[in-house]
Amino acid sequence: MSDDDMLAYVRASARLLGLPLDEARAARVAGHLQRTAALAALLDRMDLAVEDEPAEIYCPARPVPGASA
Amino acid sequence: MSGFPLRTDVLAHAIAAGQLSAAEALAQSIARIEATDDRVNAFTARTFERARREAADIDARRARGETLPPLAGVPYAVKNLFDIEGEVTLAGSKINRDDPPARTDAVLVQRMRAAGAVLVGALNMDEYAYGFTTENSHHGPTRNPHDLTRSAGGSSGGSGAAVAAAQVNLSLGSDTNGSIRVPSSLCGVWGLKPTFGRLSRRGSYPFVHSIDHLGPFADSVEGLALSYDALQYPDTQDPGCHARAVQAVLPSLTHGVAGLRIGVLGGYFEEWATAPARAAVQAVARALGARDEVLWPNAAEARAAAFIVTAGEGGSLHLNHLRQRADDAEPLSVDRFIAGALQPAAWTTRAQRFRRVYRDQVNALFKDWDVLLAPATPFAAPVLGTEWVEINGERLPCRPSVGLLTQPVSFAGCPVVAAPLWPGGEAGPLPIGVQIIAAPWREDLALRAAHVLQAAGVARLKETTL
Repeated sequence: MSDDDMLAYVRASARLLGLPLDEARAARVAGHLQRTAALAALLDRMDLAVEDEPAEIYCPARPVPGASA
Repeated sequence: MSGFPLRTDVLAHAIAAGQLSAAEALAQSIARIEATDDRVNAFTARTFERARREAADIDARRARGETLPPLAGVPYAVKNLFDIEGEVTLAGSKINRDDPPARTDAVLVQRMRAAGAVLVGALNMDEYAYGFTTENSHHGPTRNPHDLTRSAGGSSGGSGAAVAAAQVNLSLGSDTNGSIRVPSSLCGVWGLKPTFGRLSRRGSYPFVHSIDHLGPFADSVEGLALSYDALQYPDTQDPGCHARAVQAVLPSLTHGVAGLRIGVLGGYFEEWATAPARAAVQAVARALGARDEVLWPNAAEARAAAFIVTAGEGGSLHLNHLRQRADDAEPLSVDRFIAGALQPAAWTTRAQRFRRVYRDQVNALFKDWDVLLAPATPFAAPVLGTEWVEINGERLPCRPSVGLLTQPVSFAGCPVVAAPLWPGGEAGPLPIGVQIIAAPWREDLALRAAHVLQAAGVARLKETTL
């Protein structure tokens, strides 16, 4: 994504979340997000199967029936 | 004033034996804090009145002939994201100054109190734990006790510096991406990041719920083991606390490493380490008889995923602060928090899906190995304010790069002891830590290896010139 497109994304998503940003801050945030985008691209290249679920913490109730304490 | 106080286990033994009172041990700690902290800036609050009450209680119990608990009379302090009854939990921020004081101690502070340790204060940190250098604009930077122009590391910089400066024997910190191991490395003290889900986090201010760990810093391996055993408490009220039993490490601490399969991490962990960091690992490898190089699976991808999950969860957690009080936030991290809040959910979800696969890959590695070694930081403590560093010819932003070697390991949730090494060379007189990594729930193995290094004099604390 070009720097201009990233800046536009930052402005639009900040508005969506109700986050006020001045121009200088928006530009700095866009710079950070460009670096994160490069890291996300690294993960995009990983093969993940549809059954690869997110790592979990959530559990609907404890103790789980049948599990040892 | 100079000189180390008695080591944790020696001090606790002396107090239990009546050779020294808890009040006297506390007075030494307070004197050391008052003599040095105007330069180090480790403490953000001093709880000396509480400490005097706790020390007096220990001395009274001994006078009554009671058997004292294992850390009776040992002074310690905690990163200021732990709740301390009657104190505001700052988490390194200006914003939280408006919060009411905590009504009760955090679970781990309760555990330390039950073990007889004496709380002398709260310690400086990067705001909301988002940093590796404890350059805190609200409270000032914590300075490295071995070179006051340099960083103590972060985000638990006060916790590392307070032990290195011999202000306390023990401290508590948190580690999401390296925040115990980095200050341990840069300050030259022992640190333990336990298995993810081992210790209760209840009563601590969170940063990234799905990666946050808490753990101790210490002046010795015995100090780590004593405090870690005291901190263990299967807490069903903390959804992130998976431990269901106490697994004490003290009984096996001196069992040595004979029969353990110990490897040295190569690839990513060599590529992003400077020569002194590699030399520190080699010194440890020689002492432990480790010769084989081992490749950690998908380390770069894990670091990327840890970065993304951290940004996403951290940004979301602080969204209201960012909306309403961004100008009161830390200038060094507020823009990164905002970027995290704005990042697409697809990135975070994919990073969490990768984490499940990655966990299985890392656990498979430990079928062949018991302990793995890697540098804790790519380099020794940077000068405060450093913006760029060079690692093996590559120019990188300094502050995020400090955590390059810790992030893949904490993302897997493995327990790690950070051992203080003094490799010399380009590091000069500064320390660099080595990560002693074990499989999840095997803190005992990492601590056994650490004890061998300490006994051989390979890893140790050094006195500062403060």
